[in-house]
Amino acid sequence: MKKVKIRPIEANIPTASMADIAFLLIIFFMVTTVFTVDRTNVNLPLSVKREEVPKGAAVVTVTIDQMMKFSGGREESFVVSSAEDLISLAAAEVAKNSLHPFVIKADGEVPFRAVDEVMDRLKQAQVRVLILLTNQKTVES
Amino acid sequence: MLKLEKRNKVDSEIPSSSMADIAFLLIIFFMVTTVFSATRGLEFQLPKEEDAAVLDEVEAVIITIRQDTKILVFDEPKELDQLVDYLVEKWLNNNPEKPVILITDPKAPYYAMVNVLDALQRAKEEKNLVKDINVGIPTQREIEEMWGGIV
Repeated sequence: MKKVKIRPIEANIPTASMADIAFLLIIFFMVTTVFTVDRTNVNLPLSVKREEVPKGAAVVTVTIDQMMKFSGGREESFVVSSAEDLISLAAAEVAKNSLHPFVIKADGEVPFRAVDEVMDRLKQAQVRVLILLTNQKTVES
Repeated sequence: MLKLEKRNKVDSEIPSSSMADIAFLLIIFFMVTTVFSATRGLEFQLPKEEDAAVLDEVEAVIITIRQDTKILVFDEPKELDQLVDYLVEKWLNNNPEKPVILITDPKAPYYAMVNVLDALQRAKEEKNLVKDINVGIPTQREIEEMWGGIV
C-alpha cells in the first residue's frame, strides 16, 4: 500500500502591517494628548450648552474644601492663599491681554459664596471673558 | 598565480526585532497618560467697569436662587423646566431686551446657579427667541453697593 505523506499545514499570521498600525496609534495618542495646566480633580456642575475653552486660558480652581488655585494659562496652577491675591494675579494677565479668557473650574457642591468671591475679584481685575467649566449634561442626568 | 580571495560581503542591517516592542510600549504609555479633561463650559462676558449699565432692579426681571436651590421669579416659585417659558411668555415676547438679573444665595450650591444660567443661555435656540437673554450676575458686593442687599 502506498503511504500518502500528509504535509502539515503551516499556520502563519502575516504581521507585516503591525508596525504601521502601531505607529499610527502612537501618532493618534501623541496628537490627542492635552497637557492641562490644572489637574485638580473636582466634581464639575453639568450643563447642556458648552463652549470650547480657548487654549492658554487662565484657570481659577475652587475645590470642595474651598481651596483656590490659579494658573495664568502657561504654567502649572499653584495655590492662592486668599481671594485678594487673585486680583493682582488676574490683573497681570489682563494687562498683557484685556480679552484674556478666564476659566472658573469649581466643584458643583461648593457654596456659591466661594465662586462669588472669585467672580468679584476677577471683575475688579477687569476680566472681560469668563467661562464656567462644566461637564456635559445628558438627558438622564 | 594571483589567488583571488573571496571577500565576504558585510551585511549592513539594523536589527528591528525590538521595534514592535518599543512601539507598543509607547502606545501603552500614551493611552495611560491621555487625560480626557473637561475643556468646555458656559461662557459669559463681563461688562467693563465704566461701561457697566447700572442694573436697574425696577427694570429687570429678578431671579433668585435660595439656599435650598428653589428658584423664585419676583418671589414667585418656579421649577427649572418652567422658568424660561414663564420668562418668555410674561416679558421676553414683548421685550426681548429685558434684562434678567440672577441672584444666588451665598449658601446655595454652585451647581444651582449653573443650572439656571444654562437654561437661560439655551433659551434663544430652544424657544426661537430673537436674541440671547441679557443675563446679569451681580456679585454680593455689587448687590450691597447698589441696592443695599436684596438676598
